[in-house]
Amino acid sequence: MSLHKARIKAFEDILNEDVINMEQLQKLAFNGVPDEKGLRSFVWKILLHYIPQERSAWESTLLKKRQLYQQFIDEIIVSPGGPTDHPLNLSPDSSWSNYFKDNEVLLQIDKDVRRLCPDISFFQSATEFPCPEIVNSNGVKRLHKRVEQSVLKYSTLERRGLGVAKLSNEIRRNEGVNSGDYTPLNEGCEAHWEVVERMLFLYAKLNPGQGYVQGMNEIIGPIYHTFASDSNKEFRKHAEADCFFCFTNLMAEIRDFFIRTLDETESGINYMMSKLSECLKKNDRAVWEQLQRQELRPQYYSFRWLTLLLSQEFSLPDVERIWDSLFADPQRFNSLIYICCAMILLVRDNILSGDFASNVKLLQNFPPMDVSLILNKAVEISTA
Amino acid sequence: MAKKTYDLLFKLLLIGDSGVGKTCILFRFSDNHFTTTFISTIGIDFKIKTVELRGKKIKLQIWDTAGQERFHTITTSYYRGAMGIMLVYDITNEKTFDDIVKWLRNIDEHANEDVEKMILGNKCDMEEKRVISKERGEAIAHEHGIRFMETSAKLNINIDRAFSELAEAILDKSAGREADADHARIAVERRPSRAPPARACCS
Repeated sequence: MSLHKARIKAFEDILNEDVINMEQLQKLAFNGVPDEKGLRSFVWKILLHYIPQERSAWESTLLKKRQLYQQFIDEIIVSPGGPTDHPLNLSPDSSWSNYFKDNEVLLQIDKDVRRLCPDISFFQSATEFPCPEIVNSNGVKRLHKRVEQSVLKYSTLERRGLGVAKLSNEIRRNEGVNSGDYTPLNEGCEAHWEVVERMLFLYAKLNPGQGYVQGMNEIIGPIYHTFASDSNKEFRKHAEADCFFCFTNLMAEIRDFFIRTLDETESGINYMMSKLSECLKKNDRAVWEQLQRQELRPQYYSFRWLTLLLSQEFSLPDVERIWDSLFADPQRFNSLIYICCAMILLVRDNILSGDFASNVKLLQNFPPMDVSLILNKAVEISTA
Repeated sequence: MAKKTYDLLFKLLLIGDSGVGKTCILFRFSDNHFTTTFISTIGIDFKIKTVELRGKKIKLQIWDTAGQERFHTITTSYYRGAMGIMLVYDITNEKTFDDIVKWLRNIDEHANEDVEKMILGNKCDMEEKRVISKERGEAIAHEHGIRFMETSAKLNINIDRAFSELAEAILDKSAGREADADHARIAVERRPSRAPPARACCS
């Protein structure tokens, strides 16, 4: 049996147990999950605590969650007939003001999902499983339609208390969202980016304290891509619902990176950046000193690395491989720090000989390299 | 240390709402290309381009920032060292224009007092989608005493001009310090990441 086949079998053995041994699975997954037989897609669902360890509970859990997701779609997107009270109702809770607030969120999401992974065609292509209530609504229920048709500004309304005549002047057609190839598909069809837009909008609606922050698209993207490319048709069919909950679970762990007021707290991004800096200092003092001397601050590169779990630094297959290790880390996200530190160490010679400008460039555009080199180095650091 | 390849170093900053085309403007300027397939900028990005003005080689170190509110704490820390700031809005999007005032307030709070500013109304190739007239752009710039230009990264309209005008304005300002040029040059060379002292006395 080839090494690769043996790995697949090792995964299957663990997954065939009545109760999955999490520790074993994490250990195995840390070294990468094969893409075949929908293994990665399935293992991520377990590592992200979506599918329970007890085999007997799988079916009912999935059924329940998928129904719940359908309910979210119905209640938040399909059913609402739009604002119901008078547009001049200035109460902050009026359905119009909520509608406008939602549209601002939607506008931001719309801009970002149309910029998701432009290197690959996946997100621009049609999903096999569009949401029927939405794609057969003459466009009415499509989320991007809402922001394309009317950029009706909530703030203007609030500030000036405009009359109806003025209001209708403010409604502008704005179909020219410069979307490249991210064009909406015809009635009955739906592109993957539209699915991602829906998930992010639901997430923002269901997590009002957090809302949508740029970069979340880069977190949900690789998860959705993995689930929607599952070789198992049944799982592909429910990729959207499954992805939504896995994303929600993952966000529960990293959401503080996205919240500005938490920047300084122990779960915030500044703390993570200083941890990385310390790790670097400990492992390669010369490089650390060079960056200090050049006043090349960690924010210049590691803010993005850490916030997005490296999803903008590597090609999608490499990101997915790195995430195998991240998700398998029981102390998420210690390994993220080690991986980032390993990246710096692997270009140390360039940094030591480079000036400020070339070093920022290097770290902001990390050169393509075999990710296993990086991951091995990260393990080396973690055990040092 | 590498041989010096420039006379002066200017640090510039691009700010404005998300999606107005900051990254595209910078890409057009630095690489002379346009593409709509850009990922959104998270945090801060960086490009370098050397231009020649009045016989001087000027290295422009340009920082491209994320537009969304969340990133302001990260991005405002760059305002201080900036010698020039380009404030971009999208002529097809009312909100990005309304927010100019907000961005100007940000500059007042965080940047050096004598930073050179310029307002750019981008996407001027999309005439049929225009909602902000050129006059409105000019008016707000005039009101704040700032340079103004409409640009198109897509059709390469006014991009080079915008950067050289901004650089020239900075050069004019630094001309007063010309007498001290040799000294300044050494300072620039040794501390490439730090802007030279903005003025003799700030307070």
